[in-house]
Amino acid sequence: MGRACKHRGRAHYWPMGLRPGSFLGFGCVALGLTTTLRADVFLDEVWPKVGAQKCLKCHKLGGDAEESAFVLLDPAKEIDAAAALKQNRAAFVKMARTAEKDQSQLLLKATGQLDHEGEKVVEPGTAAFDLLAGFVKESTRPGAPATAPAQPAAAAPPFFSGVAMVDDATLLRRATLSLAGRLPTDAEFATVAKAGREGVLQVLDGVLREDGFYDRLREGFNDIFLTLGFDGGAETALSYTHFSETRLWYQKHDLSHIKDEDERRKAGYKLAADYRAAILGEPMKLIEHIVRHDHPFTDILTADYIMVTPYSARGYGVYEEIKDRFKNPEDPFEYVPLQLKALTGRDKRQYQESATGFYPHAGLLSTFQYLRRYPTTETNRNRLRARMFYQHFLGVDVLELAARVTDAAAVTAKYEIPTMQAAECVVCHRTLDPVASLFQDYYDLEGVYGRRKDGWFKDMFQAGFEGEDMAPEERWRSLQWLAERTVRDPRFARTMVGHVYAILTGRKPLLPPKDIEDALYPARRRAYEAQQEAIRRIADKLVAADFNLKTAFKEWVVSDFYRADGLTTAVSDPGRLAELEDVGVVRLLSPEQLERKVTALFGEPWGKLKEQTAILYGGIDSKEVTERATDPSGAMGAIQRILSNEVACRNTAADFLKEPTERRLFPLVEAGETPGVSPEIDGRIRRTLANLHLRLLGRHDSVDSEEVGRSFQLFAGIVAEAKGRKGIENRESYYCRFGKEVPDPDYTIRAWRATLTYLLRRREFLYE
Amino acid sequence: MAGLGVAAPAWLPGRVAGAASSGTAYEGPYYAVFNASGGWDTTYLMDPKGIDGINRLFQQGDILSRGSHRFAPTAKHIAGGLSNEDFYKEYGSELLVFNGLDYAVNNHSPGARYMATGKLDSLAYPTFAALVAACRGPECPISYLTFGNYSATGNLVAMSRVPYLPSLQRIANADNVEGNPRSFYHDEFALRRIEETLAAEDRALAMDPRLPRAERAQSMLYAAQVNSKALQRVTEHIPKETPKERLSQQVEIALASFKAGVCVSANLTIGQFDSHANNDTDQMKLIPEFLAGIHYLLRRAEELGIRDKLVIVAQSEMGRTPTYNKGNGKDHWSIGSVLFLGPGIRGNRVIGATDDKQFAVPIDPGSLALKAEGGVKIKPEHVHAALRDLAGIAGHPFAKQFPLVFPEAEKLIGFWG
Repeated sequence: MGRACKHRGRAHYWPMGLRPGSFLGFGCVALGLTTTLRADVFLDEVWPKVGAQKCLKCHKLGGDAEESAFVLLDPAKEIDAAAALKQNRAAFVKMARTAEKDQSQLLLKATGQLDHEGEKVVEPGTAAFDLLAGFVKESTRPGAPATAPAQPAAAAPPFFSGVAMVDDATLLRRATLSLAGRLPTDAEFATVAKAGREGVLQVLDGVLREDGFYDRLREGFNDIFLTLGFDGGAETALSYTHFSETRLWYQKHDLSHIKDEDERRKAGYKLAADYRAAILGEPMKLIEHIVRHDHPFTDILTADYIMVTPYSARGYGVYEEIKDRFKNPEDPFEYVPLQLKALTGRDKRQYQESATGFYPHAGLLSTFQYLRRYPTTETNRNRLRARMFYQHFLGVDVLELAARVTDAAAVTAKYEIPTMQAAECVVCHRTLDPVASLFQDYYDLEGVYGRRKDGWFKDMFQAGFEGEDMAPEERWRSLQWLAERTVRDPRFARTMVGHVYAILTGRKPLLPPKDIEDALYPARRRAYEAQQEAIRRIADKLVAADFNLKTAFKEWVVSDFYRADGLTTAVSDPGRLAELEDVGVVRLLSPEQLERKVTALFGEPWGKLKEQTAILYGGIDSKEVTERATDPSGAMGAIQRILSNEVACRNTAADFLKEPTERRLFPLVEAGETPGVSPEIDGRIRRTLANLHLRLLGRHDSVDSEEVGRSFQLFAGIVAEAKGRKGIENRESYYCRFGKEVPDPDYTIRAWRATLTYLLRRREFLYE
Repeated sequence: MAGLGVAAPAWLPGRVAGAASSGTAYEGPYYAVFNASGGWDTTYLMDPKGIDGINRLFQQGDILSRGSHRFAPTAKHIAGGLSNEDFYKEYGSELLVFNGLDYAVNNHSPGARYMATGKLDSLAYPTFAALVAACRGPECPISYLTFGNYSATGNLVAMSRVPYLPSLQRIANADNVEGNPRSFYHDEFALRRIEETLAAEDRALAMDPRLPRAERAQSMLYAAQVNSKALQRVTEHIPKETPKERLSQQVEIALASFKAGVCVSANLTIGQFDSHANNDTDQMKLIPEFLAGIHYLLRRAEELGIRDKLVIVAQSEMGRTPTYNKGNGKDHWSIGSVLFLGPGIRGNRVIGATDDKQFAVPIDPGSLALKAEGGVKIKPEHVHAALRDLAGIAGHPFAKQFPLVFPEAEKLIGFWG
């Protein structure tokens, strides 16, 4: 039971006797029933709700208020986050204790009553104001400590308390299907049976070396970077300016050895298609190369090479130079690393300055495909690229939660250069524009590389990163300069760990909750913090493993977040439910994943989840459609029904036509065996069903379980009902026997097919 | 939908899940939200200026009017699509225009989110189209159709992306071999037992304690599969010819779905309005294309007999500056306009305004009259609150789950006439 606290028209609830903050005389701020009750009000309340949200944007190194007396540290950017918070607390306490006009400067500044260029950031009468006021009261209390928590921390149940985890065998199945698109082998199951969780990690060492994993890796990172989706023909990534002589090599390629004109034309089409696919694949192949060879994942930004194939090398005009490095020069998709020479063009602007004579590669960041995917315009000035850089490599989405500007139109009209002069604009542009300026030489609006004709813009913050200006002599390698600093930033490792989480779960890590007046704020904050704690822990391991990304995959797989599978007891408390809202993988399989799962279970893909049908089933095209569907629509439900019908149709009779020892699905029963004839046959039918539950659904159901009983009833019910009906054909449906004679006088094959259809429509099959 | 067993909505207070259908077709109203993605130039449509160089293609004296509307003359400047002249002639009497909407921001991403949901600083809020779909037709198999732009669902309803008309045809008869209505994979009684067993499974799972994600996924999946059967109704409404125009293609998919009673709302979008270079050339191509899309929807809806159930909202994530840049383009401007048309909306009206410099003029929310001093600058949350009222969903638990917060005194009174 909770009591309602009326707070400016909103009702918040807290458990009896647990009014948070009341011991410090704070206002009404709600906590959920099971939320952590640490007594450190600064860490739990003031910092996340006010400091991080309202003050840090400007009051930091590189921020608009970096020269003020109130400079804070961003814990996310510090290796020692606790020390940063400690310093921030001290700054808050100092500001709270500094009085002016008999009032604390902290309150006066925040409410815009003193000279505060950021103007009013906290409204009197809001929960944020109450928090600050409470903090000031506590900080100015005689004898109050300046740095230590005011109260000892109270214990809270562990975050995963009451959450059931999958067993190690199921975990193994989940991981191998997800990462390699296959079921575990018997030997791998045996390893796990013997060594438990450690055995899972041992098996993963092998799984993470398989080609299937690298397919998944490329697919997963493309979901993030979307480099497959740049605009225009693939070969246009190689700009006309620099590659006009070579990028259309396939049009002149000698195919005269193919005598038949039609065949020659088709070969030409294939040549062009393979060339384009090779170019499109280069960025994600770079990621594969880094991970496959256990290189530090910092190479995603610092690699001084790109990946090319015999075909794309021709486009760059370097094939003859490097052809000996290919094992098979005829393979359009054999990728090898290549360091491009500095670009040349037709006029001075297009000649690339380079102290080394090579293109200043900065991993993915300087690939033509990445730059083309996030192009610039004369008004955008590379800001899209800067925004994506922050999002992709530092986990900061500059725009998604942009602060409300009081009157953007008025600001635009008032200032000559709003992005440099108006505090509301500067707050983001001071961070964003220096990075945009680092891309200044990648400004050919049709291609990629090229200096701006009129010189770089003066009316924007100049090249730099997080408060550090780039020296002019570094300009030729500006992206390398950026990359070197980025990979040293603690946010880089955490962002990469977040990307791995997204690949494994299909969703991005949680964002910190913003609405501090939300009754469920504390629960959402706790969920966020629990996840962040895991991200930090895994990031530390990633760094310790010299940024070997496989470490992040393995650590996530054995984490509570990936293993969470259910509840030990029902939960009804809204706070606890909010805490658990994002817990558990429970991921609707993508079209690609679903096809791989069908392949793993039946030996061949369904083959229809591609192109339009894949989009209809929630897939992406990396261009217009860039977010995968997370919930099935009715249209997707229809596709699931088609899939289950067709896959069952293809595999049921076909399996029975094989020798029992060669069957995947029905090795224990014969087609003519009907239920209810003998306990022995019923037993084998039940064992078959239990095996199907395990194989298709990953469920360990015993033969006498309710689950298997339900499947048995379906099978037996259909057979029985068929027996009582007239006019039933005595053979399998024409569509599901594929030209062969498949007698089915007792309707058992069709009943098995129906049972298979039922199982393929289950969540355990369609979700991860 | 006989023989499907219990199909009760699985929604619980504070939680969200799919709802399985009783088989009844949704009969309207239908909601079509048109998005001019990239930021349209409202001064070339419903908020013409013609002064201070705001419009190079016409002067103030050239501005046209029809009833209460004033609009920019475009007939002489367009090569295709529908001119403003023709659009207002056809629909001016039904059209409600709001000018002087203050988006507060002038970036695409937050602007699109704000305009679509009425909430700037949250990624969790559903678009109006998604919200009304969840409230009005959770049982519809493709309750919320989207063709792009900001499309968040708030986890209330699944979004459907149907790229081409033939894709609908292909999935309409999911239990038939290759969609052939005469060829079934399973005999009727076997299929019935499959469905019954799935329903029994769904009920059994509901008894077990589950993580919120698992509970929601099970409910959404079950509803999706059960409700998908209603897609059979779509086939008869799919036209034999697919139109060539971008918006018309989206419109046909939406109309077939509306007419079949399987869809509540559609988010229709065309892009490239971001005319930083050569503003007039781009806008004179895109605005007529956009208006032609609306016209196509209304004309085809008339033919299908559902025009009187169609609510249209036409919007963009921002406007464009009152001045041209050096590239003859116009940059982002945080003031814009919205068009409304449909049942419950009294037309031939213009609410709000911008001044000669294209700044929003505040209004009195009670009288809707301009009130430069002491009035309220109308923002997307005000408009969305009115939209929720129009749709009759303001009191729905889903709407309450995503409150639009502003002082009660700022509520627009009599907005729809």
